[in-house]
Amino acid sequence: MAHAIDLRGVTKTFGAKVAVRELDLTVPEGALYGLIGPNGAGKTTTIRMIMSILFPDSGAISVLGQRSALEAKQRIGYLPEERGLYKKMRVGSFLRYMARLKGYSGPGLAARVSEWLARLDLAGVEGMRCEGLSKGMQQKVQIIAALIHGPDLLILDEPFSGLDPVSTRLLRELIQQEHRRGATVIFSTHVMVQAEQLCDHIVMINDGRKVLDESLQGIRGKLDARSLVFEPLAPSADLGLVRTLPGVRQVVQADGAYEISLDEGTDVARAMHQIVGAVPAARVEIKRPTLEDVFVEIVTGPRGASAVEAEELRASLRPDRPARAEAAP
Amino acid sequence: MTKMLQIALREFLSTVATKGFIFGMLFTPLMIGIMIAVMPLLFNDKPPKIDGELALVDPTGQVLDGVRSYLEREAIAARRDDFKQQIREQTPPQLDRLGVTAAVAENAVEQALGEVPSIHVVAVDAGADLEPEKALLYQGTIEDGGRLALAVVRPNAVHKAAGDETFGTYELFVREKLDDRIVDEIKDGLRHSILDARVRGAGLDHGWITELTSMERVRSTTVTVTGELETNELLNLLLPAGFMILLLLSVLMGGQYLMTTTIEEKSSRVVEVLLSAVSPMQLMTGKILGQMCVGLLVMLVYAGMGIVGLVTFALFGLLDLWLFAYLIIFYLIAYFVLGSFMAAIGAAVNEPREAQAFMMPIMLVVMIPWLLWMPILRDPNSLFATVASFLPPINTFVMLLRLTSTTPPPFWQVWISIGIGLASVYAALWLAAKVFRVGLLLHGKPPSFSTLIRWVRMA
Repeated sequence: MAHAIDLRGVTKTFGAKVAVRELDLTVPEGALYGLIGPNGAGKTTTIRMIMSILFPDSGAISVLGQRSALEAKQRIGYLPEERGLYKKMRVGSFLRYMARLKGYSGPGLAARVSEWLARLDLAGVEGMRCEGLSKGMQQKVQIIAALIHGPDLLILDEPFSGLDPVSTRLLRELIQQEHRRGATVIFSTHVMVQAEQLCDHIVMINDGRKVLDESLQGIRGKLDARSLVFEPLAPSADLGLVRTLPGVRQVVQADGAYEISLDEGTDVARAMHQIVGAVPAARVEIKRPTLEDVFVEIVTGPRGASAVEAEELRASLRPDRPARAEAAP
Repeated sequence: MTKMLQIALREFLSTVATKGFIFGMLFTPLMIGIMIAVMPLLFNDKPPKIDGELALVDPTGQVLDGVRSYLEREAIAARRDDFKQQIREQTPPQLDRLGVTAAVAENAVEQALGEVPSIHVVAVDAGADLEPEKALLYQGTIEDGGRLALAVVRPNAVHKAAGDETFGTYELFVREKLDDRIVDEIKDGLRHSILDARVRGAGLDHGWITELTSMERVRSTTVTVTGELETNELLNLLLPAGFMILLLLSVLMGGQYLMTTTIEEKSSRVVEVLLSAVSPMQLMTGKILGQMCVGLLVMLVYAGMGIVGLVTFALFGLLDLWLFAYLIIFYLIAYFVLGSFMAAIGAAVNEPREAQAFMMPIMLVVMIPWLLWMPILRDPNSLFATVASFLPPINTFVMLLRLTSTTPPPFWQVWISIGIGLASVYAALWLAAKVFRVGLLLHGKPPSFSTLIRWVRMA
C-alpha cells in the first residue's frame, strides 16, 4: 500500500530544546491515524513539518508521494491548532478565497461553498462578515475551509480543542465521513478518549520521541490486564484482607467501587477467585486498559507509576473543560 | 504564481476597498486644499481701523515735513498700489495669463494690510517735557485720534555734531499693543525722512541716488531642446520636493499597510490556515505585490492631481516625462526594500505597538533625504550627493532629488544607482523572507534585534 505520509529520522530543535527526535512515521493511504501525547510532546511540530510550515533539521519527509507538502498542498486539508479568520472578510469570500488557494476554482465553486455552509447548518451566513459570527460558527467555517477542496489527506491538529459538545460531535462525524470517502486522516490530540473513539491506529509521542506506533486493536490485545474493578456486596466491607492476598499490589477506592491492581505475572482468574472468597462481591470484572493506561505505563516503564505521578500524567491527557461533557460518555 | 496573484489581489482589494483608505486618500488632498483656501482667512488679522496721531519731537526742523508727507493717507495708498503693481509684474506669465494668481496676491495684500490708516503727525517742541507727552500713549483710543506713538529725533540725526563718528537716530515710544505693521509704517516714514534730510544736507538729490542704486528684476530664460521657457525658480525648488514627497508617501503607505495586515493575520491566527495552502515565501511575495499596487495607486492619484495642476497653469512643458519613468522605477526599488523590512517586522511582532521599536530606524533612514534636501539641491553633483545616491536604502530618494534638480546627474550614475537598488531589493527580500518564515508562527515575547538576527541564521 502506498504511503500518504512517510517520515524518516526527522529531528527538529528550537534553540536548546529538541522538539522532535529521530521520528519515523509511516501513514498508509486511507488510514485514520491518531497522533497522541501530552501538551508539549512534539505533535504540532511534527504536523507543521509534515505541512512544510517548519523544516526539519535532519531526516526526510514524503507527503502524498512528494518530497515536500509544498508540492502537494492542493491535495491536503489542514486544520491548525491555532486557527483564525479574516475578521472583516465575508464568510463566502473567505471560503472561496481559501478554495482558490487550494487550487479549487471554476464555476462550481460558489455552489460548493453554499452547499458546505448548508451542510454545517450555516446557510444564510455567506454574506456576513466573519467577525459577526459566534465562536462556534467561526469554528465551523474554519473546518469548511480545511475540507472544501475535497483533500486526499486531512491533517488536523488538536481539532477538538475549544469546541463545544455539538461542534465536537459534528467534527467527529465529518472526520468519519471524510475517512469513508477515502481520505487519509491524521489528527493530533492530547485527549486519549477522542483518539480511542475515532482512530484505527495510534502513534504516541512523548518528549519528542515516538513511544508507540500500533493499531488500536493491537494495543488492546497486547496489554496485560492487571486491574480489576471490585464492588463489595456490603458497601462498608473492609478490604484489608484483600490487600494481604498474594499478587495484589494496590487497592484504591474510586467512584463507589475499588480498583485493585495486580502484580505483573499474576494469574488474573486465580486472583479474582481469591478476592471474591475474601470479601463477598456485588461485582468484579477485569478493567479494560485505556490509552491513558497505556501511556502511563509506557512513560513510567516497568517500575510503574506512583499514584501522584500517574494522576498527573492522566490529567495531561484529559479533555479541556469545554469538551469534557462530550467526552464523558 | 496563481496563488501569489490571488493573495496579491485579496491584499489589494482588502486595503483599497475600505472606508479608511478611501477617506485617507481623499482626506489628505482635501486637507491641503482646505489649508490653502481657509488658512489665509484664519490668519486674517488685518490691522484695526487706525485714526490717531504721531507726536514728533524734531530739534533738527528738517524731518517733520518728510514724515508728515510720507504718512499721509494718499501717500500710503499710493505705495500700496505700487506694491500691487510689482506683484503683477513678477507673477510668472503662465499664471498671469490665467489672471488668477495676480488677483489672489493683490487680494492677499489688501487682506494683510487692511484699511489705509490715518496717521496725523503733530509737532512737539524740542524743549518740552516728555513725560506728559508719553502719558497720552495710554489715553484715548487708536480709532478716535488718540496718540499712537511719540518719536524723538536726535539733534545729530541729520547733521553730525563735532566729534561724532556716526549720525544720531531717534527714539520711539509706542502705545501698548499697537499693531506692528503701523509701527513699521511709522519707522519707515522716520527712516525715509531722516535719510532724505541727510542726502539734501549733503547737497544731493534723494531721487537721483535711488535711481542710481536700483535695478529692475531680471527674469532668466531656460533653454531646452524643445524651446525656450521662462525659468521658474519656484518650480525648480518645488518639483524635487514634490517628487520626493510622492515617492515617500507611496512607499510608506504601501509599507505601512503591508506591516499592519501582516500583524493582523498573525494576531488573528489566520496565518497558519494560509500556510496550509501556500508557502511562507508565496504568502510574503503575494502580500508585497498587493501592497505594491496600493502604493502605485496612491502615487498615480497624487501624481495625477499634480499633473492636472501643472497642466492648468501651463507648466507641464517644464517636466521631463522620463522623470515619471524614473519615479516608478525608484518607487519599486524603494518599496521592495522598505516594504520587505516592514513585512518582516509585521511577522516578527504580535501587535502594532511592538512594531514601533523596529520602525524607528526605518523612519530615521527615510528622513535622511529630507534633512539633506537643500544641500543636495544646491549642489546636486557634489561628492556627497553622488555617494548618497549610491547608498541603499536612501539611494532612490537622493537620486530622484538629483534627477529633478536643475543639473541632473550623468546617465551612467542613474543606472548604477538602479543596479545597486536592485541588488538591495534582492538582499532585503532574502533577509525578510527568513524573518517572515520564522516570525509568523511565534507568539509571545516580542523579539529583539539580536533575536531577528538569530532567526536569519536559523531559517
